[in-house]
Amino acid sequence: MDTLQHLMAGLAAAMSWQNLAFALMGCTLGTLIGVLPGLGPAAGTAILIPLTFRLDPTGGLIMLSAIYYGAMYGGTITSVLINVPGEAASVVTCFDGYQMAKQGRGGTALGVAAVGSFIGGIAATVALVVVAPPLARLALSFGPPEFFALMLVGLGLVTSLAGRSLLAGLAMAVLGLLIAMVGIDPVRGAPRFTFGIPSLYDGVGFIPVVMGLFGIAEILLTMGASDRQVITPTLTSLLPSREERRRSAGAIGRGAGIGFFLGLIPGVGAIIPTFVAYVLEKRLSKTPEKFGQGAIEGVAAPETANNAYANAAMIPLLTLGIPSSPTIAVLMGAFIVNGLTPGPFLFQERPDLVWAVIASFFLGNILLLVLNLPLVGLWARILHLPHQYVSVGTLLFCMLGAYSLQQNVFDVGVMIVCGIIGYGMRRIDLPVAPLVLGLILGPFIEKSLRTSLEMSGGDFSIFLTRPLCLALLVVGGLILLGSALRLAPAEIRESSTN
Amino acid sequence: MRRGWQVACVCLLGVFVPALVTSLDYSLTDALGPGPGFFPFWLSAIGIALCLAMLVQLVRGGVVSHDAAALPLSRQAALQAGAVLLALTMAAAFLEPLGFRLTMLPFIAGLLLALGARSLLAVALCAVAGSFGVFHVFYYWLKVPLPIGVLGI
Repeated sequence: MDTLQHLMAGLAAAMSWQNLAFALMGCTLGTLIGVLPGLGPAAGTAILIPLTFRLDPTGGLIMLSAIYYGAMYGGTITSVLINVPGEAASVVTCFDGYQMAKQGRGGTALGVAAVGSFIGGIAATVALVVVAPPLARLALSFGPPEFFALMLVGLGLVTSLAGRSLLAGLAMAVLGLLIAMVGIDPVRGAPRFTFGIPSLYDGVGFIPVVMGLFGIAEILLTMGASDRQVITPTLTSLLPSREERRRSAGAIGRGAGIGFFLGLIPGVGAIIPTFVAYVLEKRLSKTPEKFGQGAIEGVAAPETANNAYANAAMIPLLTLGIPSSPTIAVLMGAFIVNGLTPGPFLFQERPDLVWAVIASFFLGNILLLVLNLPLVGLWARILHLPHQYVSVGTLLFCMLGAYSLQQNVFDVGVMIVCGIIGYGMRRIDLPVAPLVLGLILGPFIEKSLRTSLEMSGGDFSIFLTRPLCLALLVVGGLILLGSALRLAPAEIRESSTN
Repeated sequence: MRRGWQVACVCLLGVFVPALVTSLDYSLTDALGPGPGFFPFWLSAIGIALCLAMLVQLVRGGVVSHDAAALPLSRQAALQAGAVLLALTMAAAFLEPLGFRLTMLPFIAGLLLALGARSLLAVALCAVAGSFGVFHVFYYWLKVPLPIGVLGI
């Protein structure tokens, strides 16, 4: 069966009324998460995982994917209307989107953002359909040493780009990997770091940790905040003028390309594509002085790049089993909770599920467009919700999610402790992403390493004698070296300042 | 901020050093190759090295971020954060003995009032919807098992 047939079968599955309903619900909840200040996509996706516990895996994953890209769009609304990015990737949209809203062109900004997001999402999904099968086939030829090297590269990329100190990023990644060692040893079956606590035999649950690090920590960080002024958009002017359409078209095309290509690289994160798209448009513009004062290209390009990135970032996950960001790691956790391991084998073992999820991206992007254009006024009204209700609602879902995973209060305790740790980390600006990725990749990295060494009888040269593995390790080393060199000038500057 | 990073380094050492010692209790190698202690041992060792390098860097005045540092925690924010953590801990403690509904009812109402909600009617409605309403949706419709307490509620 070729790719097109698989895609058609996936579309048929995704268009069943149940899966359509899950996609619609996911898009709505995702947009809501993006709109509500203090809830990012990672936290939002994590706290809504319990909703999918009793669904069949296809429906559950369609819904969670829709929550993810819905949240990526929802952040735009707050950026434009209250000058507060709902999630990090929407920071750039504040520059011109809020200025447009102040000029009474908020509706146009949101309209262009919705259309750009739609085009970016669809373009990236088409590219995903083309790129994913050959990449998965290539990955099937990988042995344990190559997978070990590949996962190290992914972790290295995320770590090197996560913060301002490479050492801190690496320490966090190592901490995540070490936490992943808690529980029964996956190769020999021996308990490790369980200290006689039965709840630790299955390891530290990924979902409670993520809920704590993102959900609880984000709520704690919003404490003391006051409600914000909301600019209500002019709904009569959702559609841009002919001149604005002309200026947006090129920006949307370039944003889609930038978002897609940067989405393929683990660790880039959603912020970089939006900044790159914005800077490129400013450089190409004949009137760069208008950027920051309500230029429509300043909204169209980053928003398109954001959604193209969100869809393209699924490629490393689905084909290689490498999550590119904390939110994608949460999605990977949802796959694992459903007994599925993302990666090349998933295309062989569950093509029905993989293609239904991929096909749902097309439908989800259409649903987002339909939801967001006419309902802009509704989302604006939700922004008036007092923050106390949002915070308590989030905490309620965190409690519910952490407990219902295994019906165990111990997981709630883990979540609270991780919430305190995550709050502390955010207060002093320690990177959280490497910890989360280390935690989710830990068992896979250890298993690949140990299987590789068993293959070679304990000889480490197995990683150097296989060309692909060696190449990947060299790439990983270069990434860390590049990051060290990039960060070194900043450290020297700060040393001299201090 | 520098003090925060120093404390973080010490806390990390407080994890990595005991982990290194504990991992020695598991075999580092066995007949089939690396044993259960192999990966934790080397991870802990690398973690200790990284923490020490960070501490040296901090002592020498190396990189620390100033972005998040400048914002001191207001008294109100500290009190509210404390109320959230206290409420979460209490809820975790009473979740199984009292059941989801009877735990979440005061959790939601108390927390809303502690965070500054003014309308008692809205607080009461939210508390009932968030406890009994959410239980109904998750337990009966979504078949997610939630705890029922000793009172049968």
